[in-house]
Amino acid sequence: MIPGDFQPQKPTGTQLAKLGVLGVVLLGVFIGIVLVLTFVISSWLGRPVIFGHDGPDQPIEFPHETHVKELGMDCTFCHRNVEKEAAASVPAAGLCMTCHSAVGDELEGITKMRNLYEDGRSIHWVRVHRVPDHVHFVHEAHIRYFSEKEGIEAQEVCATCHGDVASMDKVQQNRSLKMGDCVNCHKQNNAPTDCATCHY
Amino acid sequence: MVTADSNKWGMVVDVDRCTGCQGCVVACQSENNIPINLEEHFNQRRAIQWIRIERYWEGEYPDVKARFIPVMCQHCGNAPCEPVCPVYATYHNNEGMNVQVYNRCIGTRFCANGCPYHVRFFNFWEPEWPESLKNQLNPDVTVRSRGIMEKCSFCVQRIQRSTRESERDNEVLEDGDRGLNPACVNACATNALTFGNFNDPDSKVSKMKEEAMKEGGRGYRLMENLGTDTNVVYLKKVDESVEVTHGH
Repeated sequence: MIPGDFQPQKPTGTQLAKLGVLGVVLLGVFIGIVLVLTFVISSWLGRPVIFGHDGPDQPIEFPHETHVKELGMDCTFCHRNVEKEAAASVPAAGLCMTCHSAVGDELEGITKMRNLYEDGRSIHWVRVHRVPDHVHFVHEAHIRYFSEKEGIEAQEVCATCHGDVASMDKVQQNRSLKMGDCVNCHKQNNAPTDCATCHY
Repeated sequence: MVTADSNKWGMVVDVDRCTGCQGCVVACQSENNIPINLEEHFNQRRAIQWIRIERYWEGEYPDVKARFIPVMCQHCGNAPCEPVCPVYATYHNNEGMNVQVYNRCIGTRFCANGCPYHVRFFNFWEPEWPESLKNQLNPDVTVRSRGIMEKCSFCVQRIQRSTRESERDNEVLEDGDRGLNPACVNACATNALTFGNFNDPDSKVSKMKEEAMKEGGRGYRLMENLGTDTNVVYLKKVDESVEVTHGH
């Protein structure tokens, strides 16, 4: 060995243990930061960036595809208030029973729905499209405007914001529905952009 | 900007008809999801009343008379509350209304300091209702959370709804429509309050204002000397026998 040559000291057991603990802590912090960023980005985009692209699970798997594409039902057949009032409204199980007291015996979802109906309980659907409480969106006015302007049926207007619900396996949100989204569309259509139009 | 073809909402308050029954206060409270004011809230001067009845005593005992004035947001044309807001949470819309945008408000309370009528209220607490009243909340009105200002909106939700419904049914929105009137106006038992469009010369309020503001008419506006150009016109008491006005 040359005199003066640097000889690295062998780390002691405690030093190794400290290093190990530090490594674990830093790893934890890193994972934490990544998770927080994921949540922040998810909430900003209004949809999950890693899991759950599909939209939420519903208590009963209602196939829009079967009802709209195969049977050709209008959106307004079930969402009855959409042309009249602010809320589009989800029908009570009684409306389902007008057909399903006779058809769909073999399906699990139908059995579930019938049981709920007989018990007089409601189906707790998971809400997919939701604007904050200080926003008052009125379906009726939007449907009326677009169906008059473009001369199309009410149910074709729905797709402007809700996308092609008929092809969705689980219903999911199609547009951001943030204020910028609303205001852009209002400007394009010369709709009022006064705050009191929606916020009151 | 208020243009000639747009609406200019306003109110006429006939003080001569007001009996001080507080019906308007209760109607406003339930229409606009205002939390219940307890005694302690009043003692702390933190009660929220979008419309309040001010009571004045006139005369000396035994010849005492109670006088009442309903006071709500005056929807000033030159509103002192508007320029002081750093985030433009309160502004004037093109229908002559002073609008409070809850989601913009950050709770500086400058507007409440600026208001000479004391009709702006700050939410010092998260609003609470007893369990039995949870289902009576009006879905058309935002429940204001802690830390933001609120005030009379001339029941803008009713104006929006009745305007939309008249468009939907291809009808003309009538002056004095009960769907259009604010809750206080509908509730008033003696018709002391009248609501309508000042830009429509045929509306009831326009005629009343014209009549009242003539030479020798009963019309006046609260603190007119401040130049706030309010949209609420008051008609003074007819009884002239008592001259002295004491504080309340």
